Amino acid sequence: MSIDGLLRELAPQVLGVLVRRYGQFDACEDAVQEALLAAAVQWADDGVPDSPRSWLVTVAARRLVDDWRSESARRRREESVAALDLPGEPVDHDDTLTLLFLCCHPALSVPSQLALTLRAVGGLTTAEIANAFLVPEATMAQRISRAKQRLRSTGARFDLPPEAERAERLRVVLHVLYLVFNEGYTTTAGPALHRADLTTEAIRLTRTLNQLVPGGEVAGLLALMLLTDARRAARTDADGSIVPLADQRRDRWNTAYIEEGVALVSGVLGRAPIGPYQLQAAIAAVHDEAPTAADTDWPQILALYDVLDTVAPGPVVTLNRAVALAMVSGPLAGLALLGTLDAVHTHRVDAVRAHLLELAGDLAAARESYRRAARMTASVPEQRYLALRAARIPLSQKDEVT
Amino acid sequence: MKYLIMMFGDQVTMMETRTTDWIKGMIEFMHTVGNDLEQAGELVDSRGLADPGQAKTVRFSDGVAVATDGPYAESKESLAGYWVVDVEDEARAVAIATRVVEFTGEPIEVRQVMDAPPEL
Repeated sequence: MSIDGLLRELAPQVLGVLVRRYGQFDACEDAVQEALLAAAVQWADDGVPDSPRSWLVTVAARRLVDDWRSESARRRREESVAALDLPGEPVDHDDTLTLLFLCCHPALSVPSQLALTLRAVGGLTTAEIANAFLVPEATMAQRISRAKQRLRSTGARFDLPPEAERAERLRVVLHVLYLVFNEGYTTTAGPALHRADLTTEAIRLTRTLNQLVPGGEVAGLLALMLLTDARRAARTDADGSIVPLADQRRDRWNTAYIEEGVALVSGVLGRAPIGPYQLQAAIAAVHDEAPTAADTDWPQILALYDVLDTVAPGPVVTLNRAVALAMVSGPLAGLALLGTLDAVHTHRVDAVRAHLLELAGDLAAARESYRRAARMTASVPEQRYLALRAARIPLSQKDEVT
Repeated sequence: MKYLIMMFGDQVTMMETRTTDWIKGMIEFMHTVGNDLEQAGELVDSRGLADPGQAKTVRFSDGVAVATDGPYAESKESLAGYWVVDVEDEARAVAIATRVVEFTGEPIEVRQVMDAPPEL
Protein backbone atom coordinates (compact mmCIF):
# COMPACT_ATOMS: atom_id res chain seq x y z
CA MET A 1 0.00 0.00 0.00
CA SER A 2 1.24 3.51 -0.82
CA ILE A 3 2.02 5.94 2.01
CA ASP A 4 -1.02 8.00 0.99
CA GLY A 5 -3.22 4.92 1.06
CA LEU A 6 -1.90 3.89 4.47
CA LEU A 7 -2.41 7.37 5.89
CA ARG A 8 -5.98 7.55 4.62
CA GLU A 9 -6.78 4.22 6.18
CA LEU A 10 -5.23 5.10 9.52
CA ALA A 11 -6.68 8.64 9.71
CA PRO A 12 -10.08 7.77 11.25
CA GLN A 13 -8.51 5.21 13.63
CA VAL A 14 -6.03 7.75 14.95
CA LEU A 15 -8.72 10.42 15.25
CA GLY A 16 -10.95 7.96 17.11
CA VAL A 17 -8.22 7.22 19.66
CA LEU A 18 -7.59 10.91 20.24
CA VAL A 19 -11.21 11.98 20.54
CA ARG A 20 -12.00 9.18 22.98
CA ARG A 21 -8.96 10.14 25.05
CA TYR A 22 -9.16 13.95 24.97
CA GLY A 23 -12.64 14.84 23.75
CA GLN A 24 -12.73 18.01 21.60
CA PHE A 25 -13.32 16.57 18.14
CA ASP A 26 -12.49 19.95 16.60
CA ALA A 27 -8.96 20.27 18.06
CA CYS A 28 -8.20 16.55 17.68
CA GLU A 29 -9.15 16.65 14.01
CA ASP A 30 -6.74 19.53 13.37
CA ALA A 31 -4.00 17.69 15.24
CA VAL A 32 -4.51 14.50 13.22
CA GLN A 33 -4.42 16.49 9.98
CA GLU A 34 -1.06 17.98 11.02
CA ALA A 35 0.25 14.56 11.95
CA LEU A 36 -0.81 13.18 8.55
CA LEU A 37 0.99 16.01 6.76
CA ALA A 38 4.12 15.44 8.88
CA ALA A 39 3.99 11.70 8.18
CA ALA A 40 3.62 12.21 4.43
CA VAL A 41 6.89 14.16 4.43
CA GLN A 42 8.87 12.18 6.98
CA TRP A 43 7.87 8.67 5.90
CA ALA A 44 8.72 9.44 2.31
CA ASP A 45 12.29 10.24 3.46
CA ASP A 46 12.85 7.82 6.34
CA GLY A 47 10.50 4.99 5.43
CA VAL A 48 7.30 3.90 7.20
CA PRO A 49 7.82 3.35 10.96
CA ASP A 50 7.26 -0.11 12.50
CA SER A 51 4.03 0.97 14.09
CA PRO A 52 2.62 3.71 11.88
CA ARG A 53 -0.56 4.07 13.90
CA SER A 54 1.27 4.65 17.18
CA TRP A 55 3.56 7.12 15.41
CA LEU A 56 0.56 9.10 14.21
CA VAL A 57 -1.21 8.95 17.58
CA THR A 58 1.94 10.16 19.36
CA VAL A 59 2.62 13.00 16.93
CA ALA A 60 -1.03 14.09 16.83
CA ALA A 61 -1.27 14.00 20.64
CA ARG A 62 1.89 16.07 20.91
CA ARG A 63 0.46 18.66 18.50
CA LEU A 64 -2.72 18.76 20.51
CA VAL A 65 -0.87 19.28 23.76
CA ASP A 66 1.36 21.92 22.15
CA ASP A 67 -1.74 23.78 21.07
CA TRP A 68 -3.25 23.62 24.50
CA ARG A 69 0.02 24.70 26.04
CA SER A 70 0.27 27.76 23.82
CA GLU A 71 -3.35 28.59 24.49
CA SER A 72 -3.04 28.26 28.22
CA ALA A 73 0.32 29.35 29.52
CA ARG A 74 -0.76 28.53 33.03
CA ARG A 75 -1.13 24.86 32.26
CA ARG A 76 1.66 23.02 33.95
CA ARG A 77 4.09 21.41 31.63
CA GLU A 78 4.11 18.17 33.63
CA GLU A 79 0.39 17.66 33.21
CA SER A 80 0.67 18.01 29.48
CA VAL A 81 3.61 15.70 29.18
CA ALA A 82 1.82 13.07 31.27
CA ALA A 83 -0.92 13.07 28.67
CA LEU A 84 1.59 12.07 26.03
CA ASP A 85 2.20 8.73 27.69
CA LEU A 86 0.03 6.64 25.41
CA PRO A 87 0.01 2.90 25.94
CA GLY A 88 -0.79 0.66 23.00
CA GLU A 89 -4.38 1.70 22.56
CA PRO A 90 -6.80 -0.77 21.00
CA VAL A 91 -8.33 0.11 17.63
CA ASP A 92 -12.04 0.51 18.00
CA HIS A 93 -13.42 0.04 14.50
CA ASP A 94 -16.73 1.55 15.55
CA ASP A 95 -14.80 4.84 15.76
CA THR A 96 -14.88 5.09 11.97
CA LEU A 97 -18.64 4.58 12.01
CA THR A 98 -19.07 7.14 14.79
CA LEU A 99 -16.95 9.60 12.81
CA LEU A 100 -19.04 9.08 9.67
CA PHE A 101 -22.24 9.81 11.59
CA LEU A 102 -20.65 12.90 13.13
CA CYS A 103 -19.30 14.29 9.84
CA CYS A 104 -22.65 13.67 8.13
CA HIS A 105 -24.55 15.35 10.95
CA PRO A 106 -27.91 16.70 9.73
CA ALA A 107 -27.11 20.14 11.20
CA LEU A 108 -24.40 20.62 8.55
CA SER A 109 -24.95 21.84 4.99
CA VAL A 110 -24.31 19.27 2.28
CA PRO A 111 -21.01 20.85 1.07
CA SER A 112 -19.81 20.87 4.68
CA GLN A 113 -20.76 17.22 5.18
CA LEU A 114 -18.80 16.24 2.07
CA ALA A 115 -15.70 18.24 3.03
CA LEU A 116 -15.59 17.12 6.64
CA THR A 117 -16.17 13.47 5.75
CA LEU A 118 -13.34 13.49 3.22
CA ARG A 119 -10.94 15.06 5.69
CA ALA A 120 -11.82 13.42 9.03
CA VAL A 121 -12.83 9.98 7.76
CA GLY A 122 -11.09 9.89 4.38
CA GLY A 123 -7.81 11.34 5.64
CA LEU A 124 -7.52 13.64 2.61
CA THR A 125 -5.67 16.90 3.06
CA THR A 126 -7.48 20.20 2.79
CA ALA A 127 -5.49 20.93 -0.39
CA GLU A 128 -6.61 17.65 -1.98
CA ILE A 129 -10.26 18.29 -1.15
CA ALA A 130 -9.99 21.88 -2.41
CA ASN A 131 -8.49 20.63 -5.68
CA ALA A 132 -11.21 18.07 -6.13
CA PHE A 133 -13.96 20.66 -5.71
CA LEU A 134 -12.07 23.34 -7.66
CA VAL A 135 -12.05 25.94 -4.89
CA PRO A 136 -9.11 27.73 -3.20
CA GLU A 137 -7.54 25.88 -0.29
CA ALA A 138 -8.35 28.74 2.11
CA THR A 139 -12.04 28.42 1.21
CA MET A 140 -12.04 24.70 1.92
CA ALA A 141 -10.12 25.18 5.19
CA GLN A 142 -12.69 27.74 6.28
CA ARG A 143 -15.58 25.47 5.29
CA ILE A 144 -14.18 22.62 7.36
CA SER A 145 -13.46 24.88 10.30
CA ARG A 146 -16.98 26.32 10.16
CA ALA A 147 -18.45 22.82 10.00
CA LYS A 148 -16.58 21.83 13.16
CA GLN A 149 -17.73 25.00 14.94
CA ARG A 150 -21.28 24.15 13.97
CA LEU A 151 -20.94 20.63 15.35
CA ARG A 152 -19.64 22.03 18.62
CA SER A 153 -22.43 24.59 18.91
CA THR A 154 -25.13 21.97 18.27
CA GLY A 155 -23.62 19.86 21.05
CA ALA A 156 -23.00 16.91 18.72
CA ARG A 157 -21.09 14.22 20.57
CA PHE A 158 -18.62 11.57 19.51
CA ASP A 159 -21.14 8.77 20.11
CA LEU A 160 -23.14 6.51 17.86
CA PRO A 161 -26.60 8.01 17.34
CA PRO A 162 -29.38 6.47 19.47
CA GLU A 163 -30.84 3.28 18.00
CA ALA A 164 -34.11 5.02 17.10
CA GLU A 165 -32.30 7.58 14.91
CA ARG A 166 -29.74 5.19 13.48
CA ALA A 167 -31.56 4.29 10.24
CA GLU A 168 -32.30 7.90 9.32
CA ARG A 169 -28.75 9.01 10.12
CA LEU A 170 -27.33 6.14 8.06
CA ARG A 171 -29.47 7.33 5.16
CA VAL A 172 -27.73 10.72 5.36
CA VAL A 173 -24.29 9.07 5.46
CA LEU A 174 -25.14 7.03 2.36
CA HIS A 175 -26.39 10.14 0.56
CA VAL A 176 -23.15 11.98 1.33
CA LEU A 177 -21.06 9.07 0.02
CA TYR A 178 -23.27 8.92 -3.07
CA LEU A 179 -22.71 12.64 -3.70
CA VAL A 180 -18.94 12.28 -3.30
CA PHE A 181 -19.07 9.47 -5.86
CA ASN A 182 -21.23 11.47 -8.24
CA GLU A 183 -18.99 14.53 -7.96
CA GLY A 184 -16.06 12.39 -9.02
CA TYR A 185 -17.90 10.44 -11.69
CA THR A 186 -17.17 12.92 -14.38
CA THR A 187 -15.11 13.08 -17.51
CA THR A 188 -11.53 11.90 -17.07
CA ALA A 189 -10.15 14.39 -19.57
CA GLY A 190 -9.24 18.03 -19.22
CA PRO A 191 -9.45 20.12 -16.09
CA ALA A 192 -11.70 17.66 -14.30
CA LEU A 193 -8.98 14.99 -14.17
CA HIS A 194 -8.32 15.14 -10.45
CA ARG A 195 -11.95 14.65 -9.61
CA ALA A 196 -11.72 10.95 -10.47
CA ASP A 197 -10.02 10.58 -7.10
CA LEU A 198 -13.33 11.35 -5.41
CA THR A 199 -14.90 8.30 -7.05
CA THR A 200 -12.13 6.06 -5.74
CA GLU A 201 -12.45 7.67 -2.33
CA ALA A 202 -16.24 7.22 -2.24
CA ILE A 203 -15.87 3.53 -3.11
CA ARG A 204 -13.19 3.06 -0.46
CA LEU A 205 -15.28 4.71 2.27
CA THR A 206 -18.42 2.81 1.28
CA ARG A 207 -16.45 -0.43 1.28
CA THR A 208 -15.27 0.37 4.82
CA LEU A 209 -18.83 1.19 5.85
CA ASN A 210 -20.03 -2.11 4.40
CA GLN A 211 -17.56 -3.92 6.66
CA LEU A 212 -18.91 -2.07 9.71
CA VAL A 213 -22.64 -2.38 8.92
CA PRO A 214 -22.75 -5.00 6.17
CA GLY A 215 -25.60 -5.64 3.77
CA GLY A 216 -28.83 -3.81 2.99
CA GLU A 217 -28.60 -0.35 1.48
CA VAL A 218 -24.90 -0.03 2.33
CA ALA A 219 -24.09 -3.06 0.17
CA GLY A 220 -26.59 -1.73 -2.38
CA LEU A 221 -24.79 1.60 -2.62
CA LEU A 222 -21.38 -0.05 -2.84
CA ALA A 223 -22.68 -2.29 -5.64
CA LEU A 224 -24.22 0.68 -7.45
CA MET A 225 -20.90 2.55 -7.30
CA LEU A 226 -18.90 -0.43 -8.55
CA LEU A 227 -21.34 -1.27 -11.34
CA THR A 228 -21.41 2.37 -12.45
CA ASP A 229 -17.70 3.05 -12.15
CA ALA A 230 -17.02 -0.20 -14.05
CA ARG A 231 -17.99 1.69 -17.21
CA ARG A 232 -15.75 4.67 -16.56
CA ALA A 233 -13.09 3.93 -19.18
CA ALA A 234 -15.72 3.46 -21.87
CA ARG A 235 -17.89 6.38 -20.84
CA THR A 236 -15.79 9.05 -22.53
CA ASP A 237 -13.72 8.94 -25.69
CA ALA A 238 -10.17 10.19 -26.23
CA ASP A 239 -11.14 13.88 -26.27
CA GLY A 240 -13.40 13.60 -23.22
CA SER A 241 -16.70 13.50 -25.09
CA ILE A 242 -19.55 11.49 -23.56
CA VAL A 243 -20.22 8.07 -25.09
CA PRO A 244 -23.79 6.93 -24.32
CA LEU A 245 -24.30 3.48 -22.79
CA ALA A 246 -25.57 1.93 -26.02
CA ASP A 247 -22.41 2.95 -27.93
CA GLN A 248 -19.83 2.09 -25.29
CA ARG A 249 -17.08 -0.44 -26.00
CA ARG A 250 -18.02 -3.09 -23.46
CA ASP A 251 -14.62 -4.77 -23.62
CA ARG A 252 -13.34 -1.67 -21.84
CA TRP A 253 -15.64 -2.20 -18.86
CA ASN A 254 -14.00 -3.20 -15.58
CA THR A 255 -14.98 -6.87 -15.19
CA ALA A 256 -13.59 -7.15 -11.65
CA TYR A 257 -15.88 -4.34 -10.50
CA ILE A 258 -18.83 -5.88 -12.35
CA GLU A 259 -18.27 -9.26 -10.71
CA GLU A 260 -17.95 -7.73 -7.28
CA GLY A 261 -21.00 -5.52 -7.81
CA VAL A 262 -23.14 -8.37 -9.12
CA ALA A 263 -22.10 -10.58 -6.18
CA LEU A 264 -23.06 -7.83 -3.74
CA VAL A 265 -26.45 -7.31 -5.38
CA SER A 266 -27.18 -11.04 -5.46
CA GLY A 267 -26.28 -11.20 -1.77
CA VAL A 268 -28.79 -8.58 -0.66
CA LEU A 269 -31.69 -8.83 -3.11
CA GLY A 270 -34.60 -10.89 -1.87
CA ARG A 271 -33.93 -9.95 1.73
CA ALA A 272 -36.38 -7.40 3.08
CA PRO A 273 -36.40 -4.51 3.29
CA ILE A 274 -35.40 -3.63 -0.22
CA GLY A 275 -34.15 -0.07 -0.73
CA PRO A 276 -33.56 2.29 -3.64
CA TYR A 277 -29.77 1.80 -3.81
CA GLN A 278 -30.20 -1.98 -4.06
CA LEU A 279 -32.73 -1.58 -6.85
CA GLN A 280 -30.59 0.90 -8.77
CA ALA A 281 -27.65 -1.48 -8.38
CA ALA A 282 -29.78 -4.35 -9.67
CA ILE A 283 -30.67 -2.25 -12.73
CA ALA A 284 -27.01 -1.34 -13.28
CA ALA A 285 -26.18 -5.06 -13.03
CA VAL A 286 -28.67 -5.93 -15.79
CA HIS A 287 -26.99 -3.36 -18.06
CA ASP A 288 -23.49 -4.51 -17.16
CA GLU A 289 -24.27 -8.19 -17.74
CA ALA A 290 -25.54 -7.67 -21.30
CA PRO A 291 -22.82 -8.63 -23.80
CA THR A 292 -24.11 -6.02 -26.27
CA ALA A 293 -26.58 -3.13 -25.99
CA ALA A 294 -29.05 -5.11 -28.12
CA ASP A 295 -28.94 -7.97 -25.58
CA THR A 296 -30.10 -5.71 -22.73
CA ASP A 297 -32.98 -7.30 -20.81
CA TRP A 298 -35.27 -4.26 -20.93
CA PRO A 299 -38.38 -6.06 -19.57
CA GLN A 300 -36.33 -6.95 -16.50
CA ILE A 301 -35.13 -3.34 -16.15
CA LEU A 302 -38.68 -2.04 -16.52
CA ALA A 303 -39.88 -4.46 -13.83
CA LEU A 304 -37.13 -3.21 -11.48
CA TYR A 305 -38.09 0.42 -12.15
CA ASP A 306 -41.71 -0.47 -11.38
CA VAL A 307 -40.58 -1.73 -7.96
CA LEU A 308 -38.38 1.34 -7.48
CA ASP A 309 -41.39 3.50 -8.31
CA THR A 310 -43.31 2.01 -5.39
CA VAL A 311 -40.34 2.05 -2.96
CA ALA A 312 -39.00 5.54 -3.73
CA PRO A 313 -41.17 7.36 -6.29
CA GLY A 314 -39.92 10.59 -7.83
CA PRO A 315 -39.42 12.36 -11.15
CA VAL A 316 -36.00 10.77 -11.76
CA VAL A 317 -37.50 7.28 -11.40
CA THR A 318 -40.37 8.19 -13.73
CA LEU A 319 -37.85 9.51 -16.24
CA ASN A 320 -35.85 6.29 -16.22
CA ARG A 321 -39.00 4.19 -16.32
CA ALA A 322 -40.01 6.11 -19.44
CA VAL A 323 -36.75 5.06 -21.13
CA ALA A 324 -37.23 1.42 -20.15
CA LEU A 325 -40.89 1.50 -21.22
CA ALA A 326 -39.86 2.95 -24.60
CA MET A 327 -37.39 0.10 -25.10
CA VAL A 328 -40.07 -2.49 -24.23
CA SER A 329 -43.22 -0.99 -25.77
CA GLY A 330 -41.90 1.61 -28.20
CA PRO A 331 -41.03 5.32 -28.01
CA LEU A 332 -44.64 6.55 -28.02
CA ALA A 333 -45.37 4.66 -24.79
CA GLY A 334 -42.26 6.20 -23.26
CA LEU A 335 -43.25 9.67 -24.41
CA ALA A 336 -46.74 9.24 -22.94
CA LEU A 337 -45.23 8.46 -19.53
CA LEU A 338 -42.83 11.38 -19.93
CA GLY A 339 -45.88 13.60 -20.44
CA THR A 340 -46.60 13.23 -16.71
CA LEU A 341 -43.36 15.16 -16.08
CA ASP A 342 -44.32 18.28 -18.03
CA ALA A 343 -44.07 20.39 -14.89
CA VAL A 344 -40.51 19.20 -14.24
CA HIS A 345 -37.94 21.40 -15.92
CA THR A 346 -34.51 19.77 -15.92
CA HIS A 347 -32.15 19.05 -18.75
CA ARG A 348 -32.54 15.31 -18.11
CA VAL A 349 -36.25 15.38 -18.92
CA ASP A 350 -35.61 17.20 -22.18
CA ALA A 351 -32.64 14.99 -23.06
CA VAL A 352 -34.76 11.85 -22.64
CA ARG A 353 -37.68 13.43 -24.50
CA ALA A 354 -35.34 14.34 -27.34
CA HIS A 355 -34.02 10.79 -27.54
CA LEU A 356 -37.52 9.25 -27.58
CA LEU A 357 -38.75 11.80 -30.15
CA GLU A 358 -35.78 10.90 -32.33
CA LEU A 359 -36.64 7.20 -32.02
CA ALA A 360 -40.26 8.02 -32.87
CA GLY A 361 -39.12 9.87 -36.01
CA ASP A 362 -40.31 13.31 -34.90
CA LEU A 363 -36.99 14.90 -35.84
CA ALA A 364 -37.85 18.59 -35.61
CA ALA A 365 -39.25 18.19 -32.09
CA ALA A 366 -36.28 16.00 -31.14
CA ARG A 367 -33.82 18.64 -32.24
CA GLU A 368 -35.68 21.32 -30.29
CA SER A 369 -35.65 19.17 -27.15
CA TYR A 370 -31.92 18.45 -27.48
CA ARG A 371 -31.28 22.16 -27.81
CA ARG A 372 -33.42 22.98 -24.79
CA ALA A 373 -31.57 20.31 -22.77
CA ALA A 374 -28.20 21.68 -23.92
CA ARG A 375 -29.12 25.13 -22.67
CA MET A 376 -30.17 23.81 -19.25
CA THR A 377 -27.24 21.60 -18.25
CA ALA A 378 -24.40 22.91 -16.08
CA SER A 379 -21.95 20.27 -17.33
CA VAL A 380 -19.61 21.18 -20.20
CA PRO A 381 -19.25 17.66 -21.71
CA GLU A 382 -22.99 17.12 -21.40
CA GLN A 383 -23.74 20.40 -23.16
CA ARG A 384 -21.38 19.48 -25.98
CA TYR A 385 -22.97 16.05 -26.30
CA LEU A 386 -26.53 17.39 -26.39
CA ALA A 387 -25.70 20.21 -28.81
CA LEU A 388 -24.01 17.72 -31.14
CA ARG A 389 -27.01 15.39 -30.98
CA ALA A 390 -29.20 18.33 -32.02
CA ALA A 391 -26.83 19.25 -34.85
CA ARG A 392 -26.65 15.66 -36.12
CA ILE A 393 -30.35 15.51 -36.86
CA PRO A 394 -30.79 16.32 -40.55
CA LEU A 395 -32.85 19.34 -41.42
CA SER A 396 -35.94 18.40 -43.38
CA GLN A 397 -37.30 20.66 -46.11
CA LYS A 398 -40.19 21.67 -43.91
CA ASP A 399 -37.76 22.86 -41.21
CA GLU A 400 -35.73 24.89 -43.64
CA VAL A 401 -38.79 26.90 -44.56
CA THR A 402 -39.58 27.80 -40.94
CA MET B 1 -22.47 24.33 -7.02
CA LYS B 2 -20.68 27.41 -8.20
CA TYR B 3 -22.37 30.65 -9.14
CA LEU B 4 -21.15 33.91 -10.60
CA ILE B 5 -22.89 36.77 -8.83
CA MET B 6 -22.58 39.84 -11.03
CA MET B 7 -23.20 43.35 -9.81
CA PHE B 8 -24.22 45.85 -12.45
CA GLY B 9 -24.19 49.58 -12.27
CA ASP B 10 -22.07 52.67 -12.44
CA GLN B 11 -19.99 53.22 -9.31
CA VAL B 12 -19.09 56.82 -10.09
CA THR B 13 -22.67 57.93 -10.68
CA MET B 14 -23.64 56.15 -7.50
CA MET B 15 -20.94 58.01 -5.56
CA GLU B 16 -22.18 61.30 -6.98
CA THR B 17 -25.83 60.75 -6.22
CA ARG B 18 -25.61 59.13 -2.78
CA THR B 19 -24.77 60.77 0.54
CA THR B 20 -21.35 60.29 2.08
CA ASP B 21 -22.93 58.39 4.94
CA TRP B 22 -24.68 56.02 2.60
CA ILE B 23 -21.47 55.35 0.68
CA LYS B 24 -19.60 54.74 3.92
CA GLY B 25 -22.30 52.33 5.01
CA MET B 26 -22.23 50.62 1.60
CA ILE B 27 -18.49 50.06 1.71
CA GLU B 28 -18.82 48.62 5.21
CA PHE B 29 -21.73 46.47 4.10
CA MET B 30 -19.83 45.06 1.10
CA HIS B 31 -16.93 44.30 3.38
CA THR B 32 -19.25 42.43 5.75
CA VAL B 33 -20.82 40.42 2.93
CA GLY B 34 -17.40 39.39 1.60
CA ASN B 35 -16.25 38.53 5.09
CA ASP B 36 -19.35 36.42 5.76
CA LEU B 37 -18.86 34.48 2.53
CA GLU B 38 -15.23 33.93 3.42
CA GLN B 39 -16.08 32.78 6.96
CA ALA B 40 -18.69 30.38 5.60
CA GLY B 41 -16.15 28.77 3.29
CA GLU B 42 -18.26 29.76 0.26
CA LEU B 43 -16.10 32.42 -1.39
CA VAL B 44 -14.12 31.31 -4.42
CA ASP B 45 -13.19 34.67 -5.87
CA SER B 46 -14.27 38.29 -5.76
CA ARG B 47 -13.23 41.32 -7.79
CA GLY B 48 -14.32 44.84 -8.48
CA LEU B 49 -13.82 46.14 -12.02
CA ALA B 50 -12.44 49.46 -13.23
CA ASP B 51 -14.93 51.97 -14.58
CA PRO B 52 -16.43 50.92 -17.93
CA GLY B 53 -15.02 54.16 -19.36
CA GLN B 54 -11.60 52.52 -19.11
CA ALA B 55 -12.69 49.47 -21.07
CA LYS B 56 -11.66 48.44 -24.55
CA THR B 57 -13.89 46.39 -26.78
CA VAL B 58 -12.36 44.26 -29.52
CA ARG B 59 -14.76 43.72 -32.37
CA PHE B 60 -14.62 42.00 -35.72
CA SER B 61 -15.08 44.63 -38.39
CA ASP B 62 -14.61 44.13 -42.16
CA GLY B 63 -12.64 40.96 -41.58
CA VAL B 64 -10.28 42.56 -39.03
CA ALA B 65 -10.36 42.55 -35.24
CA VAL B 66 -10.29 46.17 -34.06
CA ALA B 67 -10.02 47.54 -30.53
CA THR B 68 -12.12 50.58 -29.68
CA ASP B 69 -12.62 52.57 -26.50
CA GLY B 70 -15.49 51.76 -24.22
CA PRO B 71 -18.15 49.07 -24.12
CA TYR B 72 -21.29 48.77 -26.15
CA ALA B 73 -23.58 48.65 -23.17
CA GLU B 74 -24.91 51.62 -21.26
CA SER B 75 -22.97 52.15 -18.07
CA LYS B 76 -25.91 51.10 -15.93
CA GLU B 77 -25.77 47.74 -17.70
CA SER B 78 -22.04 47.39 -17.14
CA LEU B 79 -20.46 44.83 -14.88
CA ALA B 80 -19.13 46.60 -11.79
CA GLY B 81 -17.83 43.61 -9.89
CA TYR B 82 -18.48 39.97 -9.13
CA TRP B 83 -18.31 37.19 -6.62
CA VAL B 84 -17.80 33.53 -7.44
CA VAL B 85 -19.33 31.42 -4.69
CA ASP B 86 -19.48 27.67 -4.10
CA VAL B 87 -22.79 27.02 -2.33
CA GLU B 88 -25.26 24.28 -1.48
CA ASP B 89 -27.90 25.26 -4.04
CA GLU B 90 -29.29 28.02 -6.25
CA ALA B 91 -31.50 29.31 -3.46
CA ARG B 92 -28.43 30.14 -1.38
CA ALA B 93 -26.80 32.02 -4.30
CA VAL B 94 -30.01 33.99 -4.83
CA ALA B 95 -30.19 34.75 -1.10
CA ILE B 96 -26.68 36.24 -1.21
CA ALA B 97 -27.65 38.41 -4.18
CA THR B 98 -30.91 39.43 -2.51
CA ARG B 99 -29.07 40.64 0.58
CA VAL B 100 -26.92 42.93 -1.58
CA VAL B 101 -29.74 44.20 -3.78
CA GLU B 102 -31.79 45.09 -0.70
CA PHE B 103 -28.96 47.39 0.31
CA THR B 104 -27.77 48.87 -2.97
CA GLY B 105 -30.90 48.81 -5.09
CA GLU B 106 -28.73 47.92 -8.10
CA PRO B 107 -29.52 44.81 -10.18
CA ILE B 108 -27.54 41.59 -9.73
CA GLU B 109 -27.38 38.63 -12.08
CA VAL B 110 -26.82 35.11 -10.74
CA ARG B 111 -25.41 32.53 -13.19
CA GLN B 112 -24.35 28.96 -12.55
CA VAL B 113 -20.76 28.08 -13.46
CA MET B 114 -20.51 25.09 -15.80
CA ASP B 115 -18.70 22.63 -13.56
CA ALA B 116 -21.43 20.20 -12.61
CA PRO B 117 -20.82 16.47 -13.10
CA PRO B 118 -22.72 15.03 -16.09
CA GLU B 119 -25.86 13.11 -15.18
CA LEU B 120 -26.75 11.48 -18.45
